[in-house]
This record gives sequence, structure tokens and C-alpha cells, in this order.
Amino acid sequence: MKLLNLTINGRKHTKAVSPSMTLLDFLREELNLTGTKNGCDKGACGCCSVMIDDKPMLSCLLPALEAEGAAITTIEGIAKGNALHPVQEAMIEMGAIQCGFCTPAMVINGVHMLAKNNNPDDDEVKECISATVCRCTGYNSIEKALHLAASKMRRAAHDGS
Amino acid sequence: MSSRVMRDFDLLLPESIEETIALLARHKDKSAVLAGGTDLLVALKFDYSIDNVISLALVPGLDELDFDPARGLTIGAKVTIADVLRSQDVKDNYPALWQAAQVFATPQLRNTATVLGNILRASPAGDCSAALYATGGSLLLKNAKGCRNIDLDDFWISYGVTARCVDELAISLHVPVPAQGEKSAFRRMTRTTEDLSKINAAVCLQMAGETCHKARVVMGCVGPTLLRLPKVEKMLAGAAVTPELLRDISNVVISEIAPIDDQRSSAEYRNKVAGVLVKRVIEAALNAKENDQ
Ligand SMILES: Cc1cc2nc3c(=O)[nH]c(=O)nc-3n(C[C@H](O)[C@H](O)[C@H](O)COP(=O)(O)OP(=O)(O)OC[C@H]3O[C@@H](n4cnc5c(N)ncnc54)[C@H](O)[C@@H]3O)c2cc1C
Ligand code: FES
Ligand code: FES
Repeated sequence: MKLLNLTINGRKHTKAVSPSMTLLDFLREELNLTGTKNGCDKGACGCCSVMIDDKPMLSCLLPALEAEGAAITTIEGIAKGNALHPVQEAMIEMGAIQCGFCTPAMVINGVHMLAKNNNPDDDEVKECISATVCRCTGYNSIEKALHLAASKMRRAAHDGS
Repeated sequence: MSSRVMRDFDLLLPESIEETIALLARHKDKSAVLAGGTDLLVALKFDYSIDNVISLALVPGLDELDFDPARGLTIGAKVTIADVLRSQDVKDNYPALWQAAQVFATPQLRNTATVLGNILRASPAGDCSAALYATGGSLLLKNAKGCRNIDLDDFWISYGVTARCVDELAISLHVPVPAQGEKSAFRRMTRTTEDLSKINAAVCLQMAGETCHKARVVMGCVGPTLLRLPKVEKMLAGAAVTPELLRDISNVVISEIAPIDDQRSSAEYRNKVAGVLVKRVIEAALNAKENDQ
């Protein structure tokens, strides 16, 4: 076991972990943050996406110890208290959540894209969700949700300025 | 716990190149270097076990992605596919490499996977590896005794096997300055966009007007390593690239490859499409001129 220090959703954690434990297992099994999903455990489905120092990455392919000192955002850190993020609102409004298994990853990747660019074109939206497999929605509603979220965010930015 | 339980390993986190090399010297074949981990972690979850995983996460001095018009391109061991994709220098000077990065896996994987990891994995499907084999390049390897450079032409020995010694750390890859009139391109075919190639191809052509002086033509997923296609290269060298030549080339390709059946495609299909793919990748390299200017 080795000591791991990292920040998750703004909270500092220090814990002893096995060197062969992935970040995904650390989040789910040690911290009970089960919003991040294990779909394939081999890099192919995207469901385990988390943001590490502001980059979306796959937590199933990363030894937890490699995240030493990192700031991680999981789906549990996206809403502010009871206030959902515009991406979460839009996913609900567009019926883009069916079984919900892919949703945390879709939201993480959507939030990341829109933070950089709140006016994405179709290709950028497709690229953003291309990394995550959804077995339910056929992707259309998710694309629409991200466009809707983008317009919500543009409106908020406009109203705020 | 995870559905796929990895056999326990120790994760070593050296903080310098020297420390990394000392660990490699101590653990030799009982160790594996971890760059992005997108190959190594998957292997460790399936059929591979190793006592010591030596992570590059905290090692400084391996992040260099530098283009110098007089010296060429240097790609450090920690440079990711996403870094390459962001580089205007790569896009302008090494289109084949940039195009391979563009279609490589998914955005998240590109944030982690490294170019050198792709080369060290020695897969016949490696996309950036195929592009770099076409442009040419040499790897800088370092162990406790010193450094050596090895040409990519001599590096891949068989499936998953390279000329790297067990105690060597790959430091960087050097790609030469593009020759006068150099055109390159990469194309691949996949089942879904995020999947590995079922077949891929890269070319690097030295053109003077319509005439090709020198060509390097590479195909992947059609043998135990990436293959160069010497007959095709000879047909191109010194020739005007006409539709007739491209047709002849496309008929010859099948005699230079030895694909197998696997989960991504069949030998029969690969044999059918290989000639067309080589023709298209040559056309892509040549047509780039008109698009860019
Ligand atoms: C879902 C999925 C999709 C993929 N899609 C593609 C694709 O589209 N195209 C493609 O080409 N590949 C693809 N891959 C394969 C993989 O992502 C690439 O081969 C990647 O470039 C490997 O880089 P890495 O940094 O993750 O390597 P790692 O897994 O860290 O290492 C790979 C190998 O190289 C060795 N190594 C790495 N760095 C060094 C070094 N500096 N010195 C000595 N040895 C070293 C490691 O020990 C290991 O054996 C995919 C993988 C997954 C899981
Ligand atoms: S669980 Fe990580 S990509 Fe599928
Ligand atoms: S909603 Fe079920 S997998 Fe996407």
C-alpha cells in the first residue's frame, strides 16, 4: 500500500491504496463515488471518464497513484448543491437519459467541451460524444441536449454580462 | 472490486530520467515502463503480469514536442496524441503524422496515449507508428551505460517485439526535416471510429512536379509488423504519378502483404481493399497541395 493525496470535487483526500488499483476502482470502491461507471474496464466505452486537471480521461486505464496531487472532477462534482449544470438540465429536458449508464460520462465530456467553447458546431458535438458508447438513445437526443445546453450557457453568459 | 482483477504489481514513480534508468537496470525484465498506459493497463487486465511498473508520470524532461526547420521534429516520451494534434508545426510539416493523430481512438484516449508508447508497443496496427515509418525517424534509447539511436527501419522485429533492450528507456523520437517537395498522408479503415485500424496505410513521397523521386509506402495490419511495400516504392521512384501507374500499383499491393483473419477483419477482406487503400493514400498525399494553397 502507498499513500495517495489528491483533490476530488474540491475536497482533499489522503488514503493508502494498492499500487495496482485503478483510479476508477479507487473512486468507486474506496470513496463510494459510484457515479463514474465501469462499462468495459479496458478503455473502449468511455463510461469511466473523469476530468483530471481539466482534461477528460479514462479512469479505468490509470493507476490511482498516478493521480497523485491531481484535481479530479467526477459527475458528483458537476451540480452546485441542488442546482443542476445546464448540461444536466438539457439532458433531462431532451430525454437524453434512458438507462443512464453512459450519462455521467456524456455530462463530464459535455461540460468540458462547453467550458472551452459554448458555441460548438455539429461536428464538435459529435466529436465530444464520440468517445462514449450509449446503448439506449441512438445519440440524437444527446447531441440535441448538448446544443440546448450550449444555448443555455450562451444566454447565461449574455445575461451575466 | 473491478470486474477484471489485475495481478498485483508495484508502481514505481521515479522523479528523473537517471532514477528511471537505475530502476530499469535493477528490475530489467521484471519491469515495464508506463507512459499513457492505454496498452499496458489493458494488457495487465487480461493476459500479462509484471512485478514492477515504472511510471513516467513524475519524470521531467520528456515532454518536448519541438520543430526546428533546420533539425526536424523531436517528440519526447510523454508527448501525447492530443499534443501532436494541437501542433501547427506537425500539421504543416508532417501531414501523415497529424492525420494519424486525428483519427486515433477517442478524445479521452488521445489525452493519455503517447506517440512513443505507440511505437514501443510494436503493434502492426499502430497508426502514428505507420505514419512515422513512412516519414522515417530514429529513436533515442538510454540505459545506465549510455545512449544510442536506432532507426525505425531497424526497430520492429516481430509482433510486439522491438530492438529495445530491457534496461533501456526511450527518451525521444527524431523525425528528419521534410525533404524538398515532400508530401505525406495517412489513411485507415476501422469498424467504428474509436476502434483500432483493420487496415491502415501511410506514404511519404518526394515530388518534383508530377514526378516522384523517392517514396516510402507503409501498410499496417497485413503482417506481424508494419510493412514497407518495396515493389510499390520502386514503381513510384522516378515515375510520373499517373492514373495508370496508380492502377498498376493497386494491383501489385496484394503480392507484398500477408494479412490474417482476426477479430477486426478477415485476410480476404484486407487483401481486397489493400490496393485501393494504397492508391487512395497516394492520392491524398498528392491532392493535399491543392487543398492547402
Ligand atoms: C480503446 C482503445 C483504442 C485504441 N485506439 C488506437 C488507435 O486508434 N490507433 C492506435 O494506433 N492505437 C490505438 N490504441 C492503442 C494505444 O492507445 C496506443 O498504442 C498508444 O499510443 C500507446 O501509448 P501509451 O502511452 O498509452 O503506452 P503504454 O501503454 O504506456 O505503453 C505501451 C508499451 O510501450 C512501452 N513504453 C512506453 N513508453 C516507453 C518508453 N519511454 N520507454 C520504454 N518503453 C516504453 C510500455 O512498457 C508498453 O510496453 C487504442 C487503445 C485502446 C485501449
Ligand atoms: S470503463 Fe473505462 S472506457 Fe470503458
Ligand atoms: S442511456 Fe443507456 S447507455 Fe446511454
